[in-house]
Amino acid sequence: MPLTSSLTEISLNHYLILSAALFCIGMFGVIMRKNAIVILMSIELMLNGVNVSFVAFSRYQNTMDGYVIVFFVMAIAAAEAAVGLALAVAIFKRFREINISSFEHLKG
Amino acid sequence: MTSTVLFYLLQFLILASALGVVLIPNPIYCALMLAVSMIGISALFFSLEAYFVAGVQLIVYAGAVMVLFVMVIMLFNLKNEVVAFSKGLLSKVLKVSLSVLIFALIASSLSMSFADLNSSQLQPYESAMRSVKELSALLFTKYIFAFEAISILLILVVVGAVSLARAKGGTHASDK
Repeated sequence: MPLTSSLTEISLNHYLILSAALFCIGMFGVIMRKNAIVILMSIELMLNGVNVSFVAFSRYQNTMDGYVIVFFVMAIAAAEAAVGLALAVAIFKRFREINISSFEHLKG
Repeated sequence: MTSTVLFYLLQFLILASALGVVLIPNPIYCALMLAVSMIGISALFFSLEAYFVAGVQLIVYAGAVMVLFVMVIMLFNLKNEVVAFSKGLLSKVLKVSLSVLIFALIASSLSMSFADLNSSQLQPYESAMRSVKELSALLFTKYIFAFEAISILLILVVVGAVSLARAKGGTHASDK
């Protein structure tokens, strides 16, 4: 593939590479940050990267199934954020900080 | 040509704000950057003619989830946060190189796999309304069990989140 056409014409690959970049940035946040809330935000970034690739695949193959999966991903992401933030509130009540290291002492 | 420029603009916006989420130490600015990133992704969905998904992205992420995050951040007193990143130079270098390595792996394997799908071969949708209609038909026929499972999951999560946040002593109730 000649370079000029790959730069001027947006192909599926452009969207997939954007999606991979978003996923890796999110993963970097998850393994790098200490704040539990920022880690949750990074997980949202990862899920959004996956959503981008679903929508791009769906568009370029002219099907609707990818959009439905995106809905499910969004619903699960919202649920995960709610539970994660409730856990963060519970941790904060006890330790007065939301460092991810506090989660080592979890008990049922 | 305008769509190409728009794509690169949106890509820059999304990636820059995503990096902002990861690299800014203050969580409230992280939340702001996350909102910008979500709005950029929604605009990307618009440019892909996925109008309904773009709208839902705006409402659910840039609306509901962001309000949740900002409310929880405001609930905590985050002035005394000192350590934003994990410590140790070696582990930092290892983590950065691991992320870059995984991205390079995915990108290089992508460039070998899907090089033949270009936007010139893209078939246009007939109309936006028809795609929404098809989407809802799929949601209530082919994916009906997944849909119901999601509704059960949401109810469980609502109850679980409320009981978790209300429990005395948080997650350490038996500890005291």
